Amino acid sequence: MEATTLTENVSDVEPSETLTFWKSMKEEAEKTYALLFYNRWPSWLAGILMAILALMIFLWHFPWGISGGYHNWGDWLYYLSGVTDTRPLFPWLHPVSVLNIGMIGGALVSALLSREFRIQKTSQLEYLKGILGGMLMGIGSAFAGGCIEGGFYTAIGIFSMGGFAMMAGLGAGSYIGLRYLIWETDNMPQNTAYRQPVSSRKQRFLNWQQAQPYLGGFIVLAVITAFYFYSFFDVTEIGGICFFGMLVGIVMHRSRFCFVRVFRCPLMTGDAEMVKTVSLSLVIYAMGSAVIKWNFLQPDMMGVYHPFWIGSLIGGVFFGMGMIIAGTCASSALWRMAEGNTKIMAAVISFCIVNPLVTEALKYSGIENLLGTGVFVPKVLTWHITLPLYALFFLLVTQLAVWNEKTEKFVIF
Amino acid sequence: MSEENIKSDKILDTRGLTCPMPLLKVKKELKGMKSGQILEVLGTDPGSKTDIPNFVRKRGSQLIDLTEDAEGFTRYYIKI
Repeated sequence: MEATTLTENVSDVEPSETLTFWKSMKEEAEKTYALLFYNRWPSWLAGILMAILALMIFLWHFPWGISGGYHNWGDWLYYLSGVTDTRPLFPWLHPVSVLNIGMIGGALVSALLSREFRIQKTSQLEYLKGILGGMLMGIGSAFAGGCIEGGFYTAIGIFSMGGFAMMAGLGAGSYIGLRYLIWETDNMPQNTAYRQPVSSRKQRFLNWQQAQPYLGGFIVLAVITAFYFYSFFDVTEIGGICFFGMLVGIVMHRSRFCFVRVFRCPLMTGDAEMVKTVSLSLVIYAMGSAVIKWNFLQPDMMGVYHPFWIGSLIGGVFFGMGMIIAGTCASSALWRMAEGNTKIMAAVISFCIVNPLVTEALKYSGIENLLGTGVFVPKVLTWHITLPLYALFFLLVTQLAVWNEKTEKFVIF
Repeated sequence: MSEENIKSDKILDTRGLTCPMPLLKVKKELKGMKSGQILEVLGTDPGSKTDIPNFVRKRGSQLIDLTEDAEGFTRYYIKI
């Protein structure tokens, strides 16, 4: 009180209490927290951030993918149940698995900091669709040598021709999947899939809503600590992957980024937003990977193994059907699962069980050899032709999507 | 059922369903309703909070109200 009377005489502008450095910092932190975690991030921003993170992961270790991690988890299920006797790489040392774990962690951080974590239960039919969709996605990933991220997004971003073949397949698969969903709503109407949430049944001793942000902060610290642990044991690279995974998880959850929408929305509502977003993201991704590959920072053929064109195309069709029926793709499954969605958990488990099985079957039957090989676009067309053609292609795709939004030419119902 | 003054002509329960089912059902339901009628949608999917308003705006209908129920789900009132 004494302090304020002194300042009052000096100037009439400033205030009854002094603004200390710490107080100012606290105010700013609260404002930033509200900005980041009370609002949804716009999808275009997420598209740009995703491309930047994908490029960082590419420079740090490898081109980004998801299904390799699911494959590793599936291998463990088979190993632990005694079906196979070769021990797979530990999930905390397998790079793709670590990236996935980082993403789940990041999505959990985001869900907790925004107080959005809640176990969501659903009907038997929905669980069945989750399992079936997961199986189809597992089969599709085995054929295409990757899921919608590794086989489509990253493949196109690093100029692997298979990515374009998978894109066509995903379009066809989405069409079939959506046709099924429409048939289902007409013929198998569900009156309700609602199950009362557990937490509202009784008063908890702990205020869960209040506790969520603290738990979220704790996970951030845990991931950062994990990085130092990895570094201490001489696997800094894996630690970095985990950290980048967390950032991807946060970006995806805050913006509810979902690759399925690229293919579903133009057919369902005509909405072109995600087509524009992912096209923008892929142009940035490609610019970055052109810098990296043309300049020989990473080898030309790195990550270019997608079986062009039969494997990628067939894989795309299976994956497309699966993602529409399950209501998720491989990457958005990670953040939806972290948000408490139990249908998606069922989809992930069936993906993990089916994917290694089909991959092995393709290998041993020799079918794998018929599916095609990795084709690096600039090797066929040269960099000088590839780059303008690439830009033109995505300009055309976005224009087509915008035209469809106005005319609803491709909207199914 | 609700304390609101808005009188809905039809109620669509999408609780427990996740993306894209709620939006698909809303689209189907709206097709069968007449201009001026009000559809009340109940939902638990967090994604619907942006999906449904966007879709309603796009098709030229109006989202009159969006309320959070104490039980943990959202009510959307859409005027065709």
